[in-house]
Amino acid sequence: MSRTLTVLDSAPVDHAANAAAFNENEARVDWHNESLGLMRAKRDRAVEQVPEWEALRAVASSIKEHTLSHLDEYLTMFEAAAIANGAKVHWARDAEEHNRIVHHILVEGRVQYLVKSKSMLTEECHLNAYLEERGIDVVDTDLGERIVQLRKEPPSHIVMPASHLTKEEIGETFAEHLGTAVGLSDPTELTAAARIHLRERFLRAHAAMTGVNFAIAETGGVVVCTNEGNADLGMALAPIHIASMGIEKLVPGPAELAVFLRVLARSATGQRVTVYTSHVHRPEVGQALHIIIVDNGRTEQLGRPDFWRSLKCIRCGACMNTCPVYRRSGGYSYGATVPGPIGSILSPGIDLRKYAALPFASTLCGSCTAVCPVKIDLDAQLYRWRQIVVDAGLADGFKTVAANVGARVLSNRRWLHGGGAIIRIIMKLIPMNVMRRLSGSWGKTRDLPVPPGESFSSWYRANRPAKGPP
Amino acid sequence: MSSRDVILAAVRAARPPAVARPDVSMLRGATVDLAANFTAACVVAAAEVVTSVRADLDSLIAAAYAANGRQVSAMSTTSEGVTRPHSFSDTDVFVCEAVIGVAENGAVWLPLSRLRYRAALFLATNVIVVLDRARIVNDMHEAYRVVNVAEEEFGVFVSGPSKTADIEQALVIGAHGAKSLTILLLDE
Repeated sequence: MSRTLTVLDSAPVDHAANAAAFNENEARVDWHNESLGLMRAKRDRAVEQVPEWEALRAVASSIKEHTLSHLDEYLTMFEAAAIANGAKVHWARDAEEHNRIVHHILVEGRVQYLVKSKSMLTEECHLNAYLEERGIDVVDTDLGERIVQLRKEPPSHIVMPASHLTKEEIGETFAEHLGTAVGLSDPTELTAAARIHLRERFLRAHAAMTGVNFAIAETGGVVVCTNEGNADLGMALAPIHIASMGIEKLVPGPAELAVFLRVLARSATGQRVTVYTSHVHRPEVGQALHIIIVDNGRTEQLGRPDFWRSLKCIRCGACMNTCPVYRRSGGYSYGATVPGPIGSILSPGIDLRKYAALPFASTLCGSCTAVCPVKIDLDAQLYRWRQIVVDAGLADGFKTVAANVGARVLSNRRWLHGGGAIIRIIMKLIPMNVMRRLSGSWGKTRDLPVPPGESFSSWYRANRPAKGPP
Repeated sequence: MSSRDVILAAVRAARPPAVARPDVSMLRGATVDLAANFTAACVVAAAEVVTSVRADLDSLIAAAYAANGRQVSAMSTTSEGVTRPHSFSDTDVFVCEAVIGVAENGAVWLPLSRLRYRAALFLATNVIVVLDRARIVNDMHEAYRVVNVAEEEFGVFVSGPSKTADIEQALVIGAHGAKSLTILLLDE
């Protein structure tokens, strides 16, 4: 498998260092942890109200596995139906080709103002920068995305892009860019200001871009789910609609779509369904509908026996909201378009060297796997990526040495007993504050245990009953 | 080779072992009181539900938004004329009738033919949706069996007014779309 991996030249992400920087502000870490924990709690309450939840997850998982294992057939079925519906279908092998196609459509349509609804794919392709360099005015219209766009930051979460920011910070951004009163930080008033600001952008846009939550192979339609109504305002007003989708967004038919719509919002925010679930099948009179189908590394991931199931993801973000590492290290610590557990199994497939640290940004507790609505075995895939990272010689040097020493000591009885005795003596002789420093990052926030006088083996030899249990 | 053929060839080469298409026909929740469940789900989604009879429709709409700015009705016998969608940006109240309602989540299905003025649904400050009480289905599985979503250019499930929680996860009603959604649940 490792022969198909791309190892590109780029600065590796140091997740541990990024997380340490995030943790310098303890109050902020607590706030971040709790606010994402609240989303996890909302998800739990929504799920508890659906008695057939586990059956839904199982079926959702099988539908995705079925579709991915027949993906060429469903892609061509979708294409034929979409063309028959009057859509123009484009195919892009990579981000560069995707961006070129979008720009070409905009130039042909003489588009100067583009409004976008949330699309992690266009983030992945760095589309905004590409278009802005070519003179297109691009406005992200999802409130969270607009906030981070004004701040020139990428999203830190795939469902709540500005979840790393406090309302006071957002108030400062709005005061600077939207002219709201300095010191205004009430979420309702800030949202009202954004509504007025973005309404004007919707009305002047020449084209609207959306992502695609689901593409229906049998009918050639695309489904877009939002709560704010921003995708719909863009699509309903602009004469050109461009929908970009990864090849993995397909579902066979409407009956299967129903299953995903029941699990998506409940997993994401604890809602029963998103406010708007829009189905676009044909352009309206006077409108043009473009659908861009993008690979950008997905076929490579599909060909990896251990990792193709990562493509089942429906981008609900539940794995992030529950992850004890994400919640305490923040979305930016991953240095990838998609952060958190799902990002950590997708990103190494894109660039192993750059993202070698991400499979280790996990406690392997399995909470992500437990909440995933399409039953991706995230913890198992994280563990598998660790092995590949180590085999490729890309693991953190200290971890490699420690693991090798550990393996050597633990596999040899004499070394194990001798090592234990030595460590018990060292721990008694060296003061705790020095020991803590020697224990690496583990000891930063923990006390080491008081060493016992003897090992369990020697205690047992002295205390075991003469024959059999008492 | 075109990008299309390159991608399809790569997909074919990468195909995981075949997994059978699962049967989804058995998925359905227990049916209870559809109207009661629908109403409860609407409340969760921050929509208001008014129960009445169809004969009272006009007075209900008048009562909900008496002489309150521009009203656009997709149910009206007169037409707004062929206009740019942008012309609905000053709509205060938009009225339309749903095809079905979904008890599990309070969503209503609104295809283009029922909206007539698609942009008005999203530009209007307040939206009133009329729903025949006999047209409530149990869940999304049933909804997709009853409705052909590919029949028209556009169709949307709407559940409550537009909302966001992008600022500190605080729920704010009325993000970009409607600030209020009222469902008139009518007996014929």
